[in-house]
Amino acid sequence: MTSADRRHQIGGADRPRHIGARVRRVEDRRLLSGAARYLDDIRQPGMLHLGFVRAQAAHARITDIDTSALADLGAEIRVFTGQDTSGLTIKAPAGHDPKSAALPDGHQGYWRMQDSEQPLLADGVVRFVGEPIAAVLAEDAYVAEDAAERIAVAYEALPVVATMAQAQDPSIPPIFAGWTSNVYIERQMAGGDLAAARAAAAHVIRRTYYNQRQAGVPMEGRGVVAAYDPADRVLTVWSSTQIPHLVRTYLAEELGFPESRLRVVAPEVGGGFGVKGQVFVEEVLVAWLALKTGRPVKWVEDRREHLVASIHARDHLHTLTAYVAADGRLLGLEADITVDVGAYSTFPFTAGGDPGMAAKVLPGPYDIPAYAATFRALATNKCPLGTYRGVARPSAVFSQERLMDDIAAEIGMDPIELRLRNVVRTFPYKNALGFSYDEGSYAQALERVRDLVAEDRAAARASRASATTRIGVGVACFIEQSSHGTPDFTRRRVPIETGYIAARVTMEPDGEVTVDIGLQNHGQGHETVMAQVAADALGVAPENVHVRQGDTLTTPYSVGTWGSRGGPLGGGAVHEAALKIAAKLKAIAAHLLQTDASRIALHGGRAVVIGNEGSYVEIRRLARIALRNVDQMPAGMEPGLEAQCSLDGPADGTYSNAVHAAVVEIDIATGKLRLRRFVVVEDCGTILNPLIVDGQVRGGVVQGIGSALLEHFIYDEDGQPLTTSFADYLMPLAPEIPNIEVHHIETPTPRTPLGAKGLGEGGAIGPPAAIANAVADALGVPVSATPLNANTLWTLAADIRAAAETDRDG
Amino acid sequence: MRPSSFRYHKAESVDHALELLARFGEDGRPLAGGQSLVPMMNLRLAAPEHLVDIGGLPLTDIAFTDTAMRVGALVRHRQYLAEPRVAHHFPALHEAVTWIGHPTIRENGTTGGSLSHADPTAELALAAMLYDAVMIVRNTAGERRIAAADFFEDAYVTALQPGEMLVAAEFPLPPVGAAGAFVEFAERRGDFAIAAIGVSITVADGRIATAAIACSGAEPRPIRAPEIEMMLSGRPLTDPQSRAAGRRLAAAIDPVGTFLTTADYRKALIGELTARAIDTACARAASR
Ligand SMILES: Cc1cc2nc3c(=O)[nH]c(=O)nc-3n(C[C@H](O)[C@H](O)[C@H](O)COP(=O)(O)OP(=O)(O)OC[C@H]3O[C@@H](n4cnc5c(N)ncnc54)[C@H](O)[C@@H]3O)c2cc1C
Repeated sequence: MTSADRRHQIGGADRPRHIGARVRRVEDRRLLSGAARYLDDIRQPGMLHLGFVRAQAAHARITDIDTSALADLGAEIRVFTGQDTSGLTIKAPAGHDPKSAALPDGHQGYWRMQDSEQPLLADGVVRFVGEPIAAVLAEDAYVAEDAAERIAVAYEALPVVATMAQAQDPSIPPIFAGWTSNVYIERQMAGGDLAAARAAAAHVIRRTYYNQRQAGVPMEGRGVVAAYDPADRVLTVWSSTQIPHLVRTYLAEELGFPESRLRVVAPEVGGGFGVKGQVFVEEVLVAWLALKTGRPVKWVEDRREHLVASIHARDHLHTLTAYVAADGRLLGLEADITVDVGAYSTFPFTAGGDPGMAAKVLPGPYDIPAYAATFRALATNKCPLGTYRGVARPSAVFSQERLMDDIAAEIGMDPIELRLRNVVRTFPYKNALGFSYDEGSYAQALERVRDLVAEDRAAARASRASATTRIGVGVACFIEQSSHGTPDFTRRRVPIETGYIAARVTMEPDGEVTVDIGLQNHGQGHETVMAQVAADALGVAPENVHVRQGDTLTTPYSVGTWGSRGGPLGGGAVHEAALKIAAKLKAIAAHLLQTDASRIALHGGRAVVIGNEGSYVEIRRLARIALRNVDQMPAGMEPGLEAQCSLDGPADGTYSNAVHAAVVEIDIATGKLRLRRFVVVEDCGTILNPLIVDGQVRGGVVQGIGSALLEHFIYDEDGQPLTTSFADYLMPLAPEIPNIEVHHIETPTPRTPLGAKGLGEGGAIGPPAAIANAVADALGVPVSATPLNANTLWTLAADIRAAAETDRDG
Repeated sequence: MRPSSFRYHKAESVDHALELLARFGEDGRPLAGGQSLVPMMNLRLAAPEHLVDIGGLPLTDIAFTDTAMRVGALVRHRQYLAEPRVAHHFPALHEAVTWIGHPTIRENGTTGGSLSHADPTAELALAAMLYDAVMIVRNTAGERRIAAADFFEDAYVTALQPGEMLVAAEFPLPPVGAAGAFVEFAERRGDFAIAAIGVSITVADGRIATAAIACSGAEPRPIRAPEIEMMLSGRPLTDPQSRAAGRRLAAAIDPVGTFLTTADYRKALIGELTARAIDTACARAASR
C-alpha cells in the first residue's frame, strides 16, 4: 500500500486534507514573540524561594551542618535537612518478582535489582557531588542563595567509586548499606542458537566501544512551584516536566495526599529531551515544603545545578563479538554491556533502563539468527543516569554500526554492501529475541544513501594521498522501536508499568474543537499535529482546534511525552476519539438530510452528502444541535459531543528506520574536523507534518553531532565534576552544524491508527556512529570511543603524520 | 548562579570613576561591558561589594597620531572591524578581533575589560603583546604607562592596582608595509582559544626584515618568541622555513594540559599554528 493509499483510508471516506500537509507550527507565534509562559514566570502571593546546599564531596558522611553564619544575614531563613524529610525518597525498583508474569522467550535469568532510594535531602551520607543536603527557604531567590552559601557542611570522606572498574572491584565497598556489590543489576537476554553460529563462523570479530557520559541540557532547566489552597484542600504543583500525571501519582503516593486533590501543571516547557521525563527529588521536596510551611514555594534550577544534579546520559561500554560467514552474513552476535548509571536509580525507567534497552535493540536492522547479551548497571558516585533523547540507542547503534564497519574492514568488503547483505528485507520479521518488526525500508534507505554519497566516497578515496587533509564518509543504519505498548513495560518490570496515551476530543456548541491530551508538548509541535489530526477526522480546519495538555486537571490520565510516542499513539488517540464524534455528527446530519450516515462526509466545515456537494449541513449547526437544540437530534441519541480514547501501543511497538551519512574533512595537523555533509534518509511511516518531521530530525542530528564530537561530562578520580558550566561542557553551536539534508521514505505501519511510527528521537541516534565511521574511513584507523574532539582526532591521525615525516625525511 | 549583593555606582566621568575606585579600594571593581565580570559574579567567582559602572564613559575612540593608535578603554570589540586603519596598520590585530566570541560579545565587550580581565588566551592581550602596546593606567594620583610585557603577569592577573583604571591602550604604528597574520584554534568557533599565534613582519628586498611573534596557549599569559623572531629575520618571503620555526617554538614551550587538551597536543598545535601564521603573513607581504 502506498502512503497516499494509506492516507486515503484515514477517516474513512473523508480525504485527509491536513494530515501530511506542511502546516506551520501554531506554537511558534507565542514562543517567538515572548508570550509563552514558563515555570519561572509563575508567581504566587506570599511565595518563598528555595535554594539548595548541595554536596561538594562525591562520597562522604555528613558530620556537621553549621547554620550559625545565617544569623548575621539579616533575613528570615528556614533551613530543612534530611532529618526533616526522613523517609521521603525517590524509589525506582526494577525486576519485580520473576514469577509474577510470564517471561517472553528471549528474557532469561531475571532477578531482582539491588534497589537504591534517593532521599529528598541527604540522609547522613552524600553519594554524588550536587546531591541536595539542605533546603533553604527565603523571601527571595538571591537571599536563598546567599544563605545556602553560608551554611557550612563538614564531611568525613568515604571511598569514592568514580569509575566502572572501581564499581566492579570487590575490594571497594558498596555505596549502599546492605548491598553486596556496586552492581544494581546484571541480566541476560538471548535467542537463537549461538553455538551453531560460533561453529559456522568464518570470521570472529570482537571489539569494545565506549560512549561518554553526557548531560541533557534543555534550554530551560528544571523548576517547580507548589501552592496549597486550604479552601478546597488542593495542592497545585507546577513543574517543568514531560510527565505531569506520573509526577502527580508519585507525589500522591509519597506524600500520602489524595490524588483527586493534587493538580500538576506543566506550563510551557523549554525543552526536555527526556531529562524532564523523571520524577525528581526536587519536585517532591517543593510539594512537601508547600504543605509543611503553608506557603507557596518556588525553585528554579540554575545551569550549574542542571549540569551536575539533574540526570546524565550514555556512559556505555560495550564489547561485541560478531560471528560472520565467509560471504559477510552475520550468523550470531554476542554483547557484553556495562553502563555507569551513577548514584541512584531514577523513576520511572530505573537503573536497569539504559543497559536493558541497549541489550534489547542491539540486533538492530539486521537479520541475525542468534543473539545473546549480558548487561549490567553499575553504581558509582556520580549524577544518576536518566533518559535522554535516544535512550541507550545512540550507544547501541554506535557499537553496532562501528562493528559493521570493522567487520567490513576485516573481511575486505564495502561497508554499505555488507549492510545490504544483512538487513532485514521481509516483514513482519521476528528477531532472535522474539520481537516482531513491522514493515520498513531498510534496504531502500541504504541504497538511497549509497547514491547520495557516491561522489563523496570518491572524494574520500582521492584524499588518501594527502598528508594534510583527509575526507571520510560514514553511514549508520538503524531502526528505532517506539510506540511501545504496555506489554513492553510489563516485560521490563519497571515502574512506568503502562504505555497508553489518552485523548479527549470535545466539540463545543459553536463547532470549535477542544482536544485534551495526556502528552506534554516541549518542542514537538503537538498542538499543530493534533489539530491537523482532529481537523481531518471532523472536517474542520486546524485553526478551529484548540489543543490543551500538561494540566492534570483538564487532560486524561497518561504517562506523558517520551519514547517517540506522541505522533503514533497520541495522534492515534486523537484520531480515534475524533472519529467517535464524527460518527455522531454524521448521524445527526443524515437525520437532517434524510439520508444514511454512511453517505455523509465531513470536510470544509460541512457535513456533505457524498456525490452531492450541494446537499450539506454546516458542522457548527450540528454542534449546536448536539449540545443546545437537542430536540432536533435523532430520537434516542444522547446529547453532547465528547469522546475519549486511550490508545495503547502495539505489543512490540513500531519500528522506524533511517540511514545517516556523515562526510567529514579532517585537518591532519590540528585534528580539526569539519562536517562537509550530513545526510538523513528516514522512514517514520505516515508523515503527519513534513515541516515538523524535518525539524525533529534536524534538532536530533544536532544533538547527535554534540554526542559525537563535543559533549562530555567529565569527573576526576575523586568524583569531582569538571565540566560544570558551558565554558567546559561544550554544546554544538551553529558554526559546527552543516546543512542537514533530510530525505523521506514513507512506509505506513498497520500497527497504529494513522500509520505513523515514532520519530522524535531518531535524529539523535545515528550521528555518533555515522561520524565515527566517517572518521575511521578518513584516517584509516579504528575508532572505538566518543567524543571525537580535535585533540582525540589529532591523536588518531598520528600515523598519518608519522608517515608524512618519514616521506619527507627519507 | 545569582550574584551576592553589591552596590552599583554609575560613574559620571573618568575622574568620578577614579574617585569611586579610590574610595572603595579592594572592595570596588570597574564594570565595563560586563561580558566577563557578570558571569563571574553569577558563578560567585567574584563578589565585589561595589561596582563602578564605567560603561558610559566617553573613552570610546580609536584615534591615530603620526606614531601610534590610541584605543580608548571603552572601545567595543566590533569597533576595530569598522575602522579601516586598524586593518591597514595592524592586520593581525584586525584578524584577531574577528575571533573574539560571538557578535553579541563583540558588541558589548570592551578593550579595557578584555585587557584588564587578562584571560590567558584573549585575542586582544595577544595583539597587545605582538604590537608592543602600552597600557595607559590612571588613578586619582595620576597616570602611568605600562608595557604590555609587564602588564600581563599571570592568568587573570595584571599590574593594575586597586584604585587604578585602564583608560587606553596605545599601539605604536609599525613601519609602512608591515604585514601580519593571526591564526587561532578553538574547539568551536567563538570559544576562547586553545592556542593562537600572531605574526607581524616588516619586509625588505623580498625578505623578512623584522618579525614579531606572539603566542597564547603556551603559558598562562600571552608570550613573545624572540628566538624565533631572530631566526626569521633575513629569510625570503617565498621560503621562510616556517615549519622549522614552528618546531623550534613548540620545543621551547612547556604548556600544561587540561582535562580537555593534553600538553603534547597544545605543543604540536602551537608549532603548526606558528608555521601557518608565518606562511600567511609572508604570502600576504609577497602579494603586495
Ligand atoms: C560567551 C563568551 C565568549 C567569549 N569569547 C571570548 C573570546 O573568544 N576571546 C576573548 O578575548 N574574550 C571572549 N569573551 C570575553 C569578552 O571579550 C569580554 O568582553 C572581555 O573579556 C571583558 O570585557 P568587558 O568589557 O565585558 O569587561 P567586564 O566584564 O565588564 O570586566 C572584566 C574585568 O575587567 C575589569 N575592568 C573592566 N574595565 C576595566 C578598566 N577600564 N580598567 C580596569 N579594569 C577594568 C573588571 O573590573 C573586571 O574585573 C567572551 C565572553 C563570553 C560571555
